[in-house]
Amino acid sequence: MIRFELNGRPVAVEASADRNLAALLREELDLRGTKLGCQIGRCGACIVLLDGEAVNSCLLMGWQVEGRRVTTIEGLGAHPAGRALMQGLTEENAFQCGYCAPGVVMSLAGLLAGEPDPDEEQVKAALEGNICRCTGYHSILRGALAAVRHQKDRSPCL
Amino acid sequence: MRVVQPSCLDGALSLLDEPGAKAIAGGTALQLDWARGEPRPDLLVNLAPLLPSEIIHRGDKVEIGAGCTLEALRLAGLPLLSRAAADVAAPGVRRLGTVGGTIGWGAGDLLPALLVLEASVVTTSGVAMLRDWIVQPNGLLLSVQVPVPPPAARLVWRKVGLRAAFTPSIIAVAGAMTCEDGKVSVLSLAVGGGAVPPSRLEDAEADLIGRSPDIGTFEGAISTALPAVDCPFRSAAYRRRVAARALTWGLLAPAGDGRRLEPPRRAPGNSSALSRENEGDRWHIRPDMPGKVAGTWPYLTDLRRPGMLVGRILRAAHPHARIRGIDVSAAEACPGVRAVVTAQDVPGLNAFGIVLQDQPALCADKVRYLGDAVAAVAALDDATAERALSLIRVDYDPLPVVEDPEAALLPDSAKVHATGNLVTELGLVRGEPDMGFASAAHVVEDIYETPRQMHGFLETEGGYAEVQPDGTLLVAVGGQHGARDRLQLSRILGWPEQRIRVVTSPTGGAFGGKDELTVQPALALLALKSRAPVRLQLSRAESVLAGTKRSPMRIRMRTACDAEGHLLAQEVDVVADAGAYASLSPGVLETALEHAAGPYVVPNLRTRGRLVYTNNGTCGAFRGFGANQMTFAVECQIDRLAAACGLDPIEMRRRNLRSPGMPGALGQVVAPSERLREMLDTAAASPLWAPLSGQGEWLGGTGMALMWQGNGLGTLPHDEGAGELRLSPDGAIEVLCGLDEMGQGLMASLTSVVADRLGCARGDVRPVIGDTARTPDSGSTTASRGGFVVWKIAEAAGPTFASKVLALSARLTGISDDKLRIVPGGVGEIGQNSPSPLLSFAELARVAGPLVTTVRFPFPKADYTKGNARFIFASAAILARVAVSRVTGQIRVADLHLHTAAGPVIDLASYLGQMEGGAVQGLGFTLTEDVRMAQGRPLTPNLDTYAMPGIRDIPDRLVVTALEDLDPGDPYGPRGAGELGIGAVTPAVCNAVAQAVGGSPAVMPIRPETILEWLDR
Repeated sequence: MIRFELNGRPVAVEASADRNLAALLREELDLRGTKLGCQIGRCGACIVLLDGEAVNSCLLMGWQVEGRRVTTIEGLGAHPAGRALMQGLTEENAFQCGYCAPGVVMSLAGLLAGEPDPDEEQVKAALEGNICRCTGYHSILRGALAAVRHQKDRSPCL
Repeated sequence: MRVVQPSCLDGALSLLDEPGAKAIAGGTALQLDWARGEPRPDLLVNLAPLLPSEIIHRGDKVEIGAGCTLEALRLAGLPLLSRAAADVAAPGVRRLGTVGGTIGWGAGDLLPALLVLEASVVTTSGVAMLRDWIVQPNGLLLSVQVPVPPPAARLVWRKVGLRAAFTPSIIAVAGAMTCEDGKVSVLSLAVGGGAVPPSRLEDAEADLIGRSPDIGTFEGAISTALPAVDCPFRSAAYRRRVAARALTWGLLAPAGDGRRLEPPRRAPGNSSALSRENEGDRWHIRPDMPGKVAGTWPYLTDLRRPGMLVGRILRAAHPHARIRGIDVSAAEACPGVRAVVTAQDVPGLNAFGIVLQDQPALCADKVRYLGDAVAAVAALDDATAERALSLIRVDYDPLPVVEDPEAALLPDSAKVHATGNLVTELGLVRGEPDMGFASAAHVVEDIYETPRQMHGFLETEGGYAEVQPDGTLLVAVGGQHGARDRLQLSRILGWPEQRIRVVTSPTGGAFGGKDELTVQPALALLALKSRAPVRLQLSRAESVLAGTKRSPMRIRMRTACDAEGHLLAQEVDVVADAGAYASLSPGVLETALEHAAGPYVVPNLRTRGRLVYTNNGTCGAFRGFGANQMTFAVECQIDRLAAACGLDPIEMRRRNLRSPGMPGALGQVVAPSERLREMLDTAAASPLWAPLSGQGEWLGGTGMALMWQGNGLGTLPHDEGAGELRLSPDGAIEVLCGLDEMGQGLMASLTSVVADRLGCARGDVRPVIGDTARTPDSGSTTASRGGFVVWKIAEAAGPTFASKVLALSARLTGISDDKLRIVPGGVGEIGQNSPSPLLSFAELARVAGPLVTTVRFPFPKADYTKGNARFIFASAAILARVAVSRVTGQIRVADLHLHTAAGPVIDLASYLGQMEGGAVQGLGFTLTEDVRMAQGRPLTPNLDTYAMPGIRDIPDRLVVTALEDLDPGDPYGPRGAGELGIGAVTPAVCNAVAQAVGGSPAVMPIRPETILEWLDR
């Protein structure tokens, strides 16, 4: 039995040693916001936060998250950058088919948690592992930078 | 597989002595190995908790714990090492992977950096130099000690891959040099990455120490010392050249010389660019956007319900083989398996295909590519389904693999299909081409080769199927034309179409790759046999193997003009690889040939195209549909002729551009509102012709191309649209449309056209799409036809629907209907500026009977039937300003401007997205993407080697403009936007590269080797 914190709540799940976290989330824990696009860590659709940092959940075996804190796209609402990201990415119509979106959003959530005022270069660096086939990325960049502005507007002490 | 967490290092060591045991730290490399088919170990020994992970500065050394993550190393600000770490994988992987793991793995980009810095390793067996340890590892690695390089040392790090970042490594180089009195006193050089064994270049070091630093000497010594490593992607010669240059350049070039080229300081901003800022209230949030950002969008592959089985497909074991027998008895007997299907379970026609029905639902007697479906199983879970697949015995008799399409046409070639390997041959002759060439002042000729591009939609093919309570079969799989999928399924099942319901929306990207049937036949057969709901989604590796790709083309093109640049004649000969089945490839070839003269007047033209079966996967529709391949060749030829005549690219095009109203390529009538001249004028005035400033590593160049993109299926195929407006019981105005939301913005477009036509708000409109049980057959979501169909639904149904709504309102309010109008939220009185409507749509719906308007209409066509010809066209001018690296031969697109004219823009965000996304997909075609095949097997089995553009590959500045007006009286509305963005990016980039390096690339994706060869000439 693997026990960890998932979106703020303790969970326990049975899994074989080679079962990856993405599959556990999707098939055992009923959270299918996290997507699988390549299963080898090369598209970023499965990115979640592990103890607050963005990682590919297809490269993590379930047992590796024992006792740790996992945040998925379903937990974005409670994330400090969640509202700003929702607002910025939505108003810029950042996505098209949307299948890469959960991974992109979680990469950005990880970035904004550690660096509240990233510039375009830092946003690009944070998204190097996220493949989007539809947009050509410019709309995602515009949305991310809009989210940064919204986050700053919300935190006058910054 | 078992995982053990030893409590101490001694415990770990003794566990690792057990047979079948393997150490794990971060685990990321292990997962890659397993995906490549390496066996999973019996025992995983988790070292992570035992390994130090700190980075400790100890005098002139830094000690890095083996458990330190690569991302922590990147952030540590260490000379050379942190830069190298930044080039390893991507952040999400680096936060898991460890320094110890990458060293233990014995490969990877970090090693050359460590080797150059004279790193030593601390292990359970003592301390050793890293360079010795990687040859003969001994003991468990605990930490790495790295001497701090002296401040005077010049350090260089560079990784060269297939794309700009997060790339498989072609070669990584590191160097450190100190000079005294003008001579090299200390030098260390190392290479590694990818297939290159990590090593120090000791011979070169010995050769160069004591000499004065000189570019020629350095490049010579380093390139001789490099190991020769070939791989399918880059040659040994390229690796040598690039490594020698990168090291030499990095160590000897003046500081700051490697920086990027900058645009001219006074580059004017483009005030007409489409953006949220510039468009104000025309910019709307797409109705699908909040759900997509929140991760709640209901993809068909995400549906689960109790009792749902998992389906899997058994693919061919050989690219070309006879099947002698299939034995499924062991699989059927496997506990947890609920259904196994083979060709024997196909009740109807065991064949499908949009144009020719040549592809079996499940192969009976022969397989023709590695993605061929031979059998399928449905089981209680994925592991059981996978086990069942492994229990199916197929007895094959392998046949020669047909690889090269031209060789496949020779009489002695093996035959992929009994009918022979030539699928179709097309062509035409107009005028007298031979005489045209005879009188020419200039003739240019080349063979243009285009890649087997993969659609690369992030959601792989999949969905679910189930028998519904009323006995109909529901097949819910992302697609592009539900009614046609249903027709094809009805043939396979031998069922009437009315008993099948096909849901095709929403889907996570398609680009033509979900136009043909994908997993529907297997799913349908499994659901019928198991009598249970079954879901099935391809893994990426299976999708690469099985999915359709863009037809690779070899286009031989010869073009002639007179001394003043007037085109005289053109000859085009295309050989296209269909792969194993035709799908839509005949249409792709035909479309390519229709675009053979581009938007130019070519008085004498000869075209020929042959489509050939091979065992190279299977091909079909892909955004651009042949037009982008042909436009690449045509627009490069135009630039070459311009150079031959001494004309600039604009003037050359101006002299040959068709005039509005001229007949089209086949002599057909063409719709009004041609905007080619306007596009050319815009290109002429572009700021991008100003060269990039700077010098050093990068060479700048600017190029352009025109696009004249046909819309719709053409004159010959049946091509109709349909739609319906309906006031639903909850008060929403539903617009029913059989097209599909694949990401392009169908739902936004439907709400936009209906709201604009009726006068209601976008929020009052609810799109209902992609479901044969609920929506009319609006035709396929392909061929840039959706924009017209959507607009026409509102145009044709809107007035009638509005008058029904107003008549009902008049009855209810007693106000005459000519004094009423539809307003946001309901119906209001003309002249009354009330914030709320007199009657809300919900109030109307409560008393309304059926309030429905249905329309069906033809897609506009010419009346030409001797060949398939388009009637509606959209225009664009693409400009690219590129920077080409003298060191690597790689190309960066600094600026890309897309000037488009596709009539009124329906929804700004969707339109902008189509242009931007199409453009970057076109850059992939041009610079990085190709599914190369060897013996029928893809050399790029997954996204680790198939390099779609990432965020570091995009143009620094991407500008899209839209010229929206139509000619007075033009009744055809918005033109298609889906393919315009991709259409001419390739030739614009190639023409820019030609300006930069003096050679015009003809093979896509552009080979950096070729660029370097040209630069060396």
